[in-house]
This record gives sequence, structure tokens and C-alpha cells, in this order.
Amino acid sequence: MGNTKEASAVRMSRIKRKEEATVPAPVLEVRDLDVSRSGDIVVKGATFTINEGDFVGIVGPNGGGKTTLLHAILGILPSKGRIRLFGEGINRFRRWERVAYVSQHAINFDPQFPLSVRELVGLGRVRRGNLGRPLRKEDWSAVDDALGAMDLTELAYRRIGNLSGGEKQRVFVAKALVRDPDLMILDEPVAGVDATTMERFYQRISDLNQERGITVLIVSHDLTAVFCRMSKVMCVNHDVHYANITPDLDHNELLRKGYGEHFHFVFHEHSCEGVFPRP
Amino acid sequence: MRLLEYPFFRNALLGGAITALVCSWVGLFLILRKEAMMADGVAHTAFGGIAIGLFLGIDPILSALVVSILAVLAISYMRKLGLASSDAGTAVMLATGFAGGLIVISLAGGFNIELFTYLFGSILTIDRGDLVTVSSLAVITMVFLGLFYKELLSMTFDEQAARLVGIPVAPLSIAYNVLVAVTIVLSIKVVGIILVVALIVLPGLSALQLNRSFRGTMITALGFGMTSTVLGTFLSAIYDVATSGVIVFTMVGIFLFVAAYRRLG
Repeated sequence: MGNTKEASAVRMSRIKRKEEATVPAPVLEVRDLDVSRSGDIVVKGATFTINEGDFVGIVGPNGGGKTTLLHAILGILPSKGRIRLFGEGINRFRRWERVAYVSQHAINFDPQFPLSVRELVGLGRVRRGNLGRPLRKEDWSAVDDALGAMDLTELAYRRIGNLSGGEKQRVFVAKALVRDPDLMILDEPVAGVDATTMERFYQRISDLNQERGITVLIVSHDLTAVFCRMSKVMCVNHDVHYANITPDLDHNELLRKGYGEHFHFVFHEHSCEGVFPRP
Repeated sequence: MRLLEYPFFRNALLGGAITALVCSWVGLFLILRKEAMMADGVAHTAFGGIAIGLFLGIDPILSALVVSILAVLAISYMRKLGLASSDAGTAVMLATGFAGGLIVISLAGGFNIELFTYLFGSILTIDRGDLVTVSSLAVITMVFLGLFYKELLSMTFDEQAARLVGIPVAPLSIAYNVLVAVTIVLSIKVVGIILVVALIVLPGLSALQLNRSFRGTMITALGFGMTSTVLGTFLSAIYDVATSGVIVFTMVGIFLFVAAYRRLG
């Protein structure tokens, strides 16, 4: 009888372990993170978790540490605290093909650089895994798919220096997308473009999040886009404040923690109707 | 066409074409990395190496190769330590190499006539042995560029992004810089130390004006480099003037023609 009980307990424990193993680890887990630049602490005590499928808007004043936080997450900057990507510590993480990053300076390239749109997006398929090997047929078909997803097929053979600002941004998202990432990190991707281009851009990113299940972190100064489109918001001004975007969220209470106590953002749910329909 | 009956002329054409091919390919990346003057700096540093070779009685190309590789490694190291940018590091090595060469010449007791041929090139004296050396170095360079073409392009366009996707940027940069040194040394015989920068920079610069894709620009640069070297060698033989000078003038001519074509077209 005792043996049967023991065997049953072992079986239950195995099932439990198996269940735990199938629960996906959070995409990104950050605990007590401090990041410094030139000796000054720029981000202090950041703690948050980003799960699969989240669409996170990162907001906050200029110089508040948004890009610094992203650079720490990407391992570009050293930091104190814990960062885990897909369940693995940042120092041991090697599966960088799962992460795609578009820097805020990406579009400020030398306009004379001789690359066609298709060639640039093809560079998105270059990774440690295919070092010293030419891109294969399947890589180029992924490139053509990414161009199609970002409505760039007609521009495939145009020189990148001859594109408009909005087109360049789409090209860099296509370059990120072609890697088939699980996490896409975009740092101010729509700075300096007109409202219509911006609206279309957010629509595309929203589609990628909804249809492909890509987890998205996006730095934006467009608070309406963040509160209308995204599922979570992170307000960064040295401290990091993180919240789910729900109908009962007090936007101003959260934003004042980052922008200061006099900040006031007028926002109603109906602001999203028509212009930014919530998916 | 009777010129082709002479073995020395055939050697010159073949050696020149191979060198131009490699220089144009390496040079295109160098221009895009905004390090074009590194070619001039390394060539002048090679002058020190040639002087050491002549002084010690060893193959000057070999000593130039060693000194040039040390120079590019020193430039990379200064950049890494934050002591000097690539640009400033190149200036330091240019001055050090050239000054070293002058000291060695004075120790040797004067200006050596052989040194003159390295300063201004002597493509018509390329022999079978030189052809083997040039071809071997060219094969090494082209195999490297062929294998790591996409990685080099990726890190040239955006070094940080390349590092993020796991491309070993630092070792590849060092390997590329070593190849720049190798390429420059193998070109010294063709156009000489003073003019080698033209062979590296002008074909790529001319091709870049045509607004093509990277692949198109690369093929065009290789075509310009080889055409101007072959054409320059023929013209210099016909008009009996300095070959290295005519090769460089042909390159400048192509550059101006393309610039005019682009403005007018």
C-alpha cells in the first residue's frame, strides 16, 4: 500500500514537472536593474515582466533612460540586477536570432551607401549560425515575404538612400521581421514622420503583434497610440513604472510619475475610435 | 597588339589586372567604412618595411608585408584603447613608418636606386615569381572576401546591429585590416607606394556614383579597376611614359567621365 502511495506521488511530481516545463518562460524578466552611463545611474531599480504576445509602449521624457534600458536588455550596456530573456540570463543568452532591434538612429545612414531595399532586408538574415555561408534560397524567399508584409515589394530594387522617411522605417522593420523574431524592440521608429504615415506604421506593428504573436516593445512619444493600441505601458524616467492598459487605468497617475506632477494628458476611450481602432 | 608577344608585357597585364581586381574589391569596403586614407597610411608605413628589407638584404616585399600588418594592428589597437580614431591612428603610423624608412636609408648611407622602383612602381618588371606571389595573396584575399562578404557588408553598414546578431565584429575587422595591408603591399609593385591609394579608392569611388545596388556597385568597381589598369598599361607602352602614372590618370579619367555622365544624365 505504502509503495503504491509512493509511486503515485512520484507520478504526480513528474506530471507537475512536465506541466511546469511546458509553461513558456516570460519573454523578458527584469529584476532590480540598475544601469549607469559614464558613472551616473540612468535607470534605477527596474522590475517588470513581459510575457509572450505583449505589446508594450515605453514612454517618458527625453533623457529619462528609455534607450539606456533597451541597451541593457540587449546586452549592449553593462548593468546590475537580473535580466532574463526567454528564461535565460542575459550573460548566457545566445539565441539572439529570436530578438530583433531597430535603433532610433537606424534611418540616419549614409544616403550614398550602395544598398537596394532587398539587399538591406537580406542583411537581416545574417547571423552567427550562417557565418561564412552565402544566403540560401529560403533566406531570399523570407526576404520577399517580409517585403510583402511591409508593402515594400514594389520598392525592392530601389536604392535605400532614395526612400522617404516613412519608407525607410518600414524597410528597417522588414529587416527586423525577416529574422522571424519572437521579440521585436523598436526605439522611436516613427520620429519625424507625418501623422498618416505614423498611423499606418502603428497599424502594421499592431497586425504583426496580433497575427504573428510577436511580442513588441516600442519606444514612443505618441501617448494616444500607446494607450489606444498597446496592451501594456512602461513609463521611464530613471525609475520604471509599468502597468496593464485597462479601461480603469488612471493614465495621468501613471504618467505623472515619469513626466512630473503637473503633467496632464487628456485621453478618452473614444479618442481611439476611427483613428486608432483598438483591435 | 605586338606588345602582347613580349612575356614581360603579358606579365604586367596579368599582374596588374589581378592586383586591380583585389584592390577594387577591398577598396570598396574601405571607402564605405570611411577609412580610405588607411590605404595611404599603410602604403607609407610599408616604405619603412621596404627600407628595412633592402638594408638587411631580405625580400623587401616580405619585410613591407610584416611592417604593414603590424601597422594595421597598431591602428586597430589604438582605436580599441581609445588612444586615437582610425583616422588619427593612420596618421601616426604613416609618420612613424615613413620616418623609420628615412632613418634606415640614412643608416644605409644614402638613397638606394631600388627603393625608387618601390616608391613609383615597376609593373613592367613583374616576373613569374612576382606573379605567383601576387596571385597567391590575391586568392587568399578573395577567398576571405567571398566567404565573409555578407558579414563585412552587415558590419560596414551598421556595426552595432551586426554585433547584436552575433557576428564576430572584432576578429573580422582585424582580419579585414590585415587583408588591406596584404593588398597594399602586393600593389606596390604595380603603381608604387605613392600612388597605391588611387588603385584602392578610385574604382570604388567611380562605381559609387552610379547609384547602383551593392552587388552592382561591386561588379562595376571591379570592372573599372581592371579596365583602367589594362588600358593604362597599354597607353603607357604606346606613348612610352611612366606606367603607374598613366594607370592612375586612366582611373581619374573614368572617375571624371562617370561624374559628368551622372550630372548630365
